[in-house]
Amino acid sequence: MRLHEFVVRRVLLLIPVMIGVAVFTFAVAQIIPGDPAALQCGDKCGLIVGYDDDGKPITAHQANRERLRLDDPVSLQFERYITDLINGDWGESQKNGRPVIDIIKTSAPVTLEMAFFSLMIAYPLGIFLGIISAVRQDRMFDHVSRFFAIAFVSLPIFWFAMLLQLYFATGPQVGGICDPIFGTEGGCFPIFDRHDQSYTYPLDGYHSLYPESGTGFHLIDSWFVTDAKLAELPSEFDTNRELFMDTLIHLVLPCSALGIASSGSLLRYMRASLLEVLHEDYVRTARAKGLSEFRVVVVHACRNAMVPIVTILGFSIGGAIGGAVLTESVFGIHGMGTVAVLGILQLEYQIVMGVTLLTSVIFLLSNLIVDIAYAIVDPRVRLE
Amino acid sequence: MRDWEEGRKDREESQKRLLESLSMSISNLGRGWKIYRRSLLAMLGLLMVLSVSMVAIFADEIAVQHPYRNLTDTEDKWSNNPDQQESPPFSEECSLREQKITTNPSSPLFSETVVAESVNKVSGSIAYGYYTDVLSITEIIKIENDRGYDQDISLITIDPDNSSLFVLSPDLYGNSSHYTGVWVTYLYENEDMSHWWLPEGYDTCIFGTNKEGHDVFSKVVYGARVSLTIGITVATLTVTIGTIVGSISGYYGGRIDEVIMRICDVFFAIPGLILAMAFVAAMRSVSSLTFPVWLGILLPVLMLAYFLNSHLSTTVLSGDERVSDQAMGMLMGNRSLLVGLLAFLFFVGWLPAFAWPDFFGVSHSRGWRLISSLVVIVLLVGIILADRRFVQKNSLDGALTRIGSSFDWTNPWRYLNFRTVVVFLSMAILFKLSGNEGPEIVLIKDFDKLWQVQFALIFTGWPGYARLIRGQVLYVKEMAFVEAAKSVGAPPSRIMFRHILPNAWAPLLVAFTLDIGGTILSASGLSFLGLGAAPYTAEWGLMISESRVAFQRAPHMMLYPGLAIAVTVLGFNLLGDGIRDVVDPKNRR
Amino acid sequence: MSEGPLIEIRGMRKWFPIKQGMMSSVRSYVRAVDGVDLEINRGETLGVVGESGCGKTTLGRVLMGLIPITEGSVIYSGSDIREIPNKEIRRKMQIVFQDPGGSMNPRISVRSIVGEPLQVNGICEGVELTRKVEELLESVGLKAEHMTRYPHEFSGGQKQRIALARALSLDPEFILLDEPTSALDVSVQAQVLNLLEKIQKERGLTFVFISHDLAVVRHISDRIAVMYLGKVVELADSDEIYRNPLHAYTKALISAIPSPDPDARSDQPPVEGDVPSPVDPPPGCAFGHRLHHPDWEKSTKMDLSLREVSPGHWVQPCPCCTDENDESRDAPHEQVADGNASEDVPDWARGE
Ligand SMILES: Nc1ncnc2c1ncn2[C@@H]1O[C@H](COP(=O)(O)OP(=O)(O)OP(=O)(O)O)[C@@H](O)[C@H]1O
Ligand code: SF4
Ligand SMILES: [Mg+2]
Repeated sequence: MRLHEFVVRRVLLLIPVMIGVAVFTFAVAQIIPGDPAALQCGDKCGLIVGYDDDGKPITAHQANRERLRLDDPVSLQFERYITDLINGDWGESQKNGRPVIDIIKTSAPVTLEMAFFSLMIAYPLGIFLGIISAVRQDRMFDHVSRFFAIAFVSLPIFWFAMLLQLYFATGPQVGGICDPIFGTEGGCFPIFDRHDQSYTYPLDGYHSLYPESGTGFHLIDSWFVTDAKLAELPSEFDTNRELFMDTLIHLVLPCSALGIASSGSLLRYMRASLLEVLHEDYVRTARAKGLSEFRVVVVHACRNAMVPIVTILGFSIGGAIGGAVLTESVFGIHGMGTVAVLGILQLEYQIVMGVTLLTSVIFLLSNLIVDIAYAIVDPRVRLE
Repeated sequence: MRDWEEGRKDREESQKRLLESLSMSISNLGRGWKIYRRSLLAMLGLLMVLSVSMVAIFADEIAVQHPYRNLTDTEDKWSNNPDQQESPPFSEECSLREQKITTNPSSPLFSETVVAESVNKVSGSIAYGYYTDVLSITEIIKIENDRGYDQDISLITIDPDNSSLFVLSPDLYGNSSHYTGVWVTYLYENEDMSHWWLPEGYDTCIFGTNKEGHDVFSKVVYGARVSLTIGITVATLTVTIGTIVGSISGYYGGRIDEVIMRICDVFFAIPGLILAMAFVAAMRSVSSLTFPVWLGILLPVLMLAYFLNSHLSTTVLSGDERVSDQAMGMLMGNRSLLVGLLAFLFFVGWLPAFAWPDFFGVSHSRGWRLISSLVVIVLLVGIILADRRFVQKNSLDGALTRIGSSFDWTNPWRYLNFRTVVVFLSMAILFKLSGNEGPEIVLIKDFDKLWQVQFALIFTGWPGYARLIRGQVLYVKEMAFVEAAKSVGAPPSRIMFRHILPNAWAPLLVAFTLDIGGTILSASGLSFLGLGAAPYTAEWGLMISESRVAFQRAPHMMLYPGLAIAVTVLGFNLLGDGIRDVVDPKNRR
Repeated sequence: MSEGPLIEIRGMRKWFPIKQGMMSSVRSYVRAVDGVDLEINRGETLGVVGESGCGKTTLGRVLMGLIPITEGSVIYSGSDIREIPNKEIRRKMQIVFQDPGGSMNPRISVRSIVGEPLQVNGICEGVELTRKVEELLESVGLKAEHMTRYPHEFSGGQKQRIALARALSLDPEFILLDEPTSALDVSVQAQVLNLLEKIQKERGLTFVFISHDLAVVRHISDRIAVMYLGKVVELADSDEIYRNPLHAYTKALISAIPSPDPDARSDQPPVEGDVPSPVDPPPGCAFGHRLHHPDWEKSTKMDLSLREVSPGHWVQPCPCCTDENDESRDAPHEQVADGNASEDVPDWARGE
């Protein structure tokens, strides 16, 4: 099978899955208790907003049901749901009327940013420790690092995040480790939010503070923020570099929590994969040729051992998004996870649907990219 | 009918076989244990799991504070205890208690001696519908009247004969015009509240108390129960569902496999925690798990008919040629049509409109349910027999003698096999769970938030197992002994249960163990987000979540529950890793 | 009823679809068995030989009704096996699998392995079953106390005996032996073959004996069918085939039999060229195609069905060479597969 054929097939295979996910989200929305029409009008549901042709009064509730077309048969609703999805209309929040796509546009980049940086921590850490662990198989280091790998997998990530908060930034009473060592005040790292405390999110929703035209990725937006906008912000920063640094430093704790927690499984994968490769013939040959152990491991073995690690990148992204939900909650970051949790607590099913859909799209796409990359590197996988 | 004596030889034979298989499994276990104990980490894991389980089992003994239970149901509830909020570990405040004493002689509650008691702790005596505990007073710290002014401590003394009685001095209640009661703050001691396993003097709250005043240690101890229950229930049910679905998918293959695997793909496409959150959201209004009678009857019929159909198309050489031309044959030949029609009616919602009892005018009694179950069983057996007779054209003699011989009452040992034990156990569990008299079979009466979490995790988890077991079944299915079994005429059920599954379960066991840990982690995560256990439940994730408002001030509130989660999950993960080494074919000789 | 052959195979084809593309659209097939006609008489042993992958096992499995037939039919005692209830076929026809170890579930004891046919057919249980299994084990030369052991505790020859005991348990009329000796070393092979002959004599069984080793087949068979790439190319009495092999492939096979005389041994492999693939096989004579026979193209235009050259001796005609002339027929192959033709067949193999 040639490469383009493989790509086409792989993409086509995604279609039924995407349809399945859409059906799933739709079904969940149907099952979620609560009447969206009633949610929207709140305590004003009884108000009479108009009269129908027969002169009967229409309440706000009825009008809402009409508008949302909730009385249509399910099949029709589903059809409309799918067409709306394709047209980019993902519904709107019932509390404040913001379009879901808008809410997700501002929150998804936040989560992605976090997931990305946490993987930037997890991969090097996991791979490095995995290599050492495999090379020193069954020595002390191996045992210790394997234990820690399992331990990190077992840690409740939200608890780990809180421990980081506790020790790297502390309140007035309990001393963290930063203040006595580095002489800082209130810890080394900020522990809440994506920005300096003075920029709190507006109450009505999840607006990004950055220019309307912003990407939603706070790091990028803060780098390119204009001076005029900077002056407008209630900030003490003179340049956008300072703002950028502030934004970056707010990522440190959440991303370390997420990254360290996911490095455990990477370590185990890397170790297993490298051990397998080290027993292969060509590695033995390389050794027999008298190459230095370092060269053998790094040049010959690692390159091949790394391939399966890269293939789980897609899954790591999924895991990181899942973990991000919890970390966001701990660090008070308004990413997709927070949005989803609030959506569930407030029965805003459109938001839940939106987040579920989007995360699955991200997950599927990243897997697709990884698979295609793999197929380019290793033609064998194309054969299936 | 044979009589008991005639069955003696068979009994002895079965007994011998049982002993043989028992000794076989014991020697297998012994071999496994030898491999297992080579790994220090695995032993550590086993130790952790064992100790957490012990803690969970003996939580009543180990904990010093207990949830109060209202007497009508058994749900654990932790009441608010305002006296000891957020006290740090090993502080005196832990054994402080405030109690209101009526000092108005005309009040019906008035008495000259007052028992010091707590509503928080479980022990023998019962008052006001709750379990209460009698405390023994060591020292009276403070007396306050209801306007907040300190009173002379000597106004109330401890009864020298009975240290749990306050004796009010006449000065206090004689002067009733000023106040109706006093608040007395005292240090207490209680045998039930001391840690019997700690040296004298350490029997205070060793993990501190939380912001509701609960003893964190006790809550952590009770939390082990909650977490292990969730972990084991969810893992067991997911394994069961996953195994059933996966083995059907792997064994029958074809279109049904395709459909199941596509469904699994959808589940895999959504990150686990988000999926679980969506399920929790979807289940928020479910308050009891009910199961309409008509569904209970129709569902098995539909499923059975469907599987018979696919079974036939795979085993019978070329389907329709074998159907004889009798009327019955016609009917059986068109079964797929019939089933399709039923499914159509079922899903379009026509059948549900006629709930059976209304339709037939019968009551919802157990008797009715029993009869309808019998009818269904007869129906199913009828379908099976008809299928054999007309479609597979087998004579029924063999089947009948086999049915006859399988009710061999002279040889009870025969029934001591895995399958019958499982069938009986599941029947007993179902019978226990379903109890009420109503239009529906209530499976889980109190479908509380914990159940919602459990079901969300089950729904999230089964595709993983289905895929795992499908792969295993596909692998084992190709082995020669499966074909050998087919070649002697073994039916699919026997091939599945006797040949395929016993050779496929090893990775499942590993996944099961790891999954208990994973489930505990996810469940605590959900609770942490506020989507899990109900407020004030002794659930570790929830405890951490509740500590967030003050965790910098009082880190003990989150430290210990988190440690408990970490230790438990780590234990299961290490255990799973150890078991993986044992079942790994590389380690077998 | 007892007249006529026990089993008749008519135009049997078994094509395995190779799935390609995600819509499972079938593009090509493995033609494992591609048009075989055979008759198996009561009480005889029919040997089936051919190199690995030529479809012997598939032939057997279709014959047994274990996998559905693609085309053609198998007639057992006058009725199509698709018409006979599954249970009945299973009782009358049994199979001993190619790999004795693999055909036994490692998790169940020998008693259950041998007794399984009896159990699933509801014949006996309990003490009765134990007694029966004891008998069976003894009849194949094992001891009763082996009953409680597990397959991995036995040697290859013993496993083959257990497999045989399982096949015998239902008292069948017909047993398909799929390379029962290929996993065994020579001395054990002889024991098993003798056991088979003994049992056949005692019970009046009909055997189909599959092997890739002509010497073994000849020892036990009355008639031999030579298979090549899904087709039977030659069928004759076993002596006849040795004495007078007609098809080039048969000759190649016979020449490959190691001779006890070191001088007569041929160092060359019996057949040159790549092992053929049953996926989309070449038209015409597949063997000629493999050897790049110069006249191969002629065979694509001819009818290649078996012809009876002498009574009981059937052979696929070799049309690309001058037909009906035995000597010139061999000539082309002498050029190609040099030295592998009839004169290289050792005397001991030709004789008898
Ligand atoms: N289930 C199957 N699906 C697809 N192809 C198959 C299947 N079974 C066998 N084949 C193919 O059919 C061909 C014939 O296989 P078969 O097992 O019958 O050969 P054989 O003559 O028994 O070989 P051997 O001597 O090695 O046992 C082979 O190319 C094999 O790959
Ligand atoms: S002689 Fe011709 S037909 Fe016969 S085997 Fe050779 S090539 Fe085929
Ligand atoms: Mg074979």
